[in-house]
Amino acid sequence: MATEDARYRDSSQYRLWSFSPTQLGALREKTNAAARARISERLLSHPLPTTTTSTSSKDLSTPTSNANTPDPDGNSTPALPEFLTPPEELTLVGYYTSEILRASEALHYADEIKATAAMFLKRFYITNSIMTYPPAEMFFVALFFACKVDTGHVNLSEYTKIFNKSPEEILAGEFLLCQGLRFAFDVKHPYRALRGAMMELASFPDMQSDLKRLDAAEARARKILQFSPLMTDAYFHYTPSQIMLAALSLADRGLAERLIQETFHFVQMEGNSADTPGGGNNGGGGGGGGGERGNKNYRANEEKAKVIGSQIRDKVLGTIEACRDMLNRELPERKEHWTNKPFIKTQITPLRKKLLKCKDPERWNLVELQRVRREQAARKMDSDDEDDASGGRRVKKEEDGDIFGGDLGHSAKKRKVTMKKEEDLFGGPMLVKEDPFGGAKVKKEEDSFGGFGGVL
Amino acid sequence: MAVSPLVAPPSSLTSPLKRQPSQQTSSNGTPNFGTAPLSAAKAILGHPQETSTSSSTPPSLTLDPIEQMNELEKRKYVKGRKLGEGTYANVYLGHSRSDPSALVAIKKIKVQAQYNDGLAPDAVRELKHLQELRGHPNIIQLYSVFSSKDQNLNLVLEYLPLGDLEMLIKDVDRVRYGAGDIKAWMGMLTRAVWFCHENYVLHRDIKPNNLLIAADGEVKLADFGLARGFSDPGWRMTATVITRWYRPPELLFGARHYSGAVDIWSVGMVFAELIIRTAYLPGNTEVEQIALICKQIGTPTEDNWPGVTQLTQYTVPSEITPVWGKEAYMGRFGAVGSEGVDLLVKTLALDPKKRITAREMLEHKWWRTEPKPTRKEDLPRKSGGGGEEKMGADLKRRNGVLEEDRGSKVARKLDFGAMK
Repeated sequence: MATEDARYRDSSQYRLWSFSPTQLGALREKTNAAARARISERLLSHPLPTTTTSTSSKDLSTPTSNANTPDPDGNSTPALPEFLTPPEELTLVGYYTSEILRASEALHYADEIKATAAMFLKRFYITNSIMTYPPAEMFFVALFFACKVDTGHVNLSEYTKIFNKSPEEILAGEFLLCQGLRFAFDVKHPYRALRGAMMELASFPDMQSDLKRLDAAEARARKILQFSPLMTDAYFHYTPSQIMLAALSLADRGLAERLIQETFHFVQMEGNSADTPGGGNNGGGGGGGGGERGNKNYRANEEKAKVIGSQIRDKVLGTIEACRDMLNRELPERKEHWTNKPFIKTQITPLRKKLLKCKDPERWNLVELQRVRREQAARKMDSDDEDDASGGRRVKKEEDGDIFGGDLGHSAKKRKVTMKKEEDLFGGPMLVKEDPFGGAKVKKEEDSFGGFGGVL
Repeated sequence: MAVSPLVAPPSSLTSPLKRQPSQQTSSNGTPNFGTAPLSAAKAILGHPQETSTSSSTPPSLTLDPIEQMNELEKRKYVKGRKLGEGTYANVYLGHSRSDPSALVAIKKIKVQAQYNDGLAPDAVRELKHLQELRGHPNIIQLYSVFSSKDQNLNLVLEYLPLGDLEMLIKDVDRVRYGAGDIKAWMGMLTRAVWFCHENYVLHRDIKPNNLLIAADGEVKLADFGLARGFSDPGWRMTATVITRWYRPPELLFGARHYSGAVDIWSVGMVFAELIIRTAYLPGNTEVEQIALICKQIGTPTEDNWPGVTQLTQYTVPSEITPVWGKEAYMGRFGAVGSEGVDLLVKTLALDPKKRITAREMLEHKWWRTEPKPTRKEDLPRKSGGGGEEKMGADLKRRNGVLEEDRGSKVARKLDFGAMK
């Protein structure tokens, strides 16, 4: 009946990116645990040299880590770093999400683009740990890709100029992001729903004298929608229309409830021949049920009660209330909280320092990662098309090749590059480059976006 | 006929236009592969210990959970011979590993040399929209996406071996078809467009060779490389979309705000072409295209289209042709009957606001008048094969943005009188 609902269930937002709070929490924990396990393994099998050039051939001969056994050579005594916990990861993702919103605001991007970028980042870090891929880099990638998805194109060189990044740095993470998004690029937002709801409210005769109230509510609700659902998990648990109603309820509870009452009016109204409000689909739960004709018979009535009756209304009200509570935790006023100096200093900076110590040595440098990938691909390039067809056989050949040696030299070389990268990352100047929003220096935090407004 | 594939009961909101059980088990035997279930991801995430960190390939990157998922997805399919090769993509025949009789087409998007801004926008758009338009029998299905090697995107698409409508239209000597067949094809096309618009997606490149044919005769709208979501009011869109012969006057006049009506014009052009078996308005340039529209359909003026003269590229030949009425079309398009011509004329309204919508098209009387639409199994098909190759050629193609058109905008104020 309610096709709008059915259609929403076909959307990738519902199919791939909607979870119960328990599911979502479990997913994040698994991602965190998996990253710890992998990073431990990688750190132990490719220990960072404490002294300068350790014999890389020796490293190679070390069998792949026996996780708990320290390197017998003792040249690296790999004490594992302390890892971020899932709540700590979440705090940092929240911080970078707030940064995305701040940057895109300074750039005067459309609401949809801002929100899409924020959701790209949040979705990406559900199945990827920020210990694996640097959020300070993925941040730019998410913003860039959101522009591409929403406007169809974006000028990379202009974009790189704004953020003082090289095209390479942006593009290195693009594919990674797409994969993390499971190649589903559509994000459904509550902005149009809000406009529709306001138009519907304005159409009620008794509202005509109260248009000021409507304007104020819309402005406030829009402000909430631009921040609160993106800073919480609302998009993962609620539909756009539910989020819209929750925001409207925060702005003006009476208006939201009126809208819900009007939509799920079935039992209240005596002669139910009244039209279902045209914008009934704003009701989130299952409006849009108009059009049924000749509904005198019992079954049709029952059907109607199911869709726009009081029972479903109460259910919707409950859902909206829960969503409202969630949004209420990150009201737009909290924007200041996320840029507040003491907060950054005591909450974010320590986490970032911790992050740099437990980051994935193999994945952290996106440009390098990309280079290695291309190299690997190039080695297989000559047989690109056939090997897909013959599947496993080709893989075997690759392994043979490894056994015969050539690769040893290659991997040693790669190791060197990796080491160099690591050193850079811990060096001072790199930090600033890595993270233009402040790195370890708190001073940079405040004015990092100061210049953007003028650029566009 | 009770099971007419054509007509949607107009008032029902349960949308029979979508997910008809009978079409789920389509006779081309392609199963519904669905998406990679999240449970797969969860299963992977549940076992963080990697089994694949064996020491055999030290320089290789080990796989992250998301990459393992990609590998799983990739392993579900076997890539076969190449069906088409283009600058934008290569297309391969493929099949499910678990069921070799379940054929698929695998479209491998190439990393483009001349595009330096990363993943090509065409691929991004196509993916974005196909992910959301699942489950309609008249839209090409995207079963899966995976990446291979050097980050090439592979789109696993529905296998559509019977070529496309263009092939049938053009083969005048060997393919015969009649009003019932046209009605069946048009019905399938209209439902596809209805579904796009119902989901707030503009296709923006409807033409006969984007209408592919499944083994059971079902027509499928393909190539969403130019598609985009309906824009918010006030948000500008590009006017350089839709292959010229199928491009509506508002786009030729440079409109930056438009609606689903642009697709409907294209549908009308395909309708006309199905009847006369040659492109109806084959202009060689944009200027010529406008002149053809003015001559064959009528000159857009403030009278028949209020506001048209405000469009930035509005230029028409000085000799005004009044808009032709239905009778004028009867001679050339009468094969589909009076109701059919009525529908055709409504799709070709100059003013996009007056043009019929996809939903209204589905409610038109024509579908219910004789002859009944042919059952899809009985629709004419091209003998002698070549369909697979045609599918390969269609899927690998770039979309209808024509470079030369952009330049010609400048030279728009040409003398229409100079051309015949």
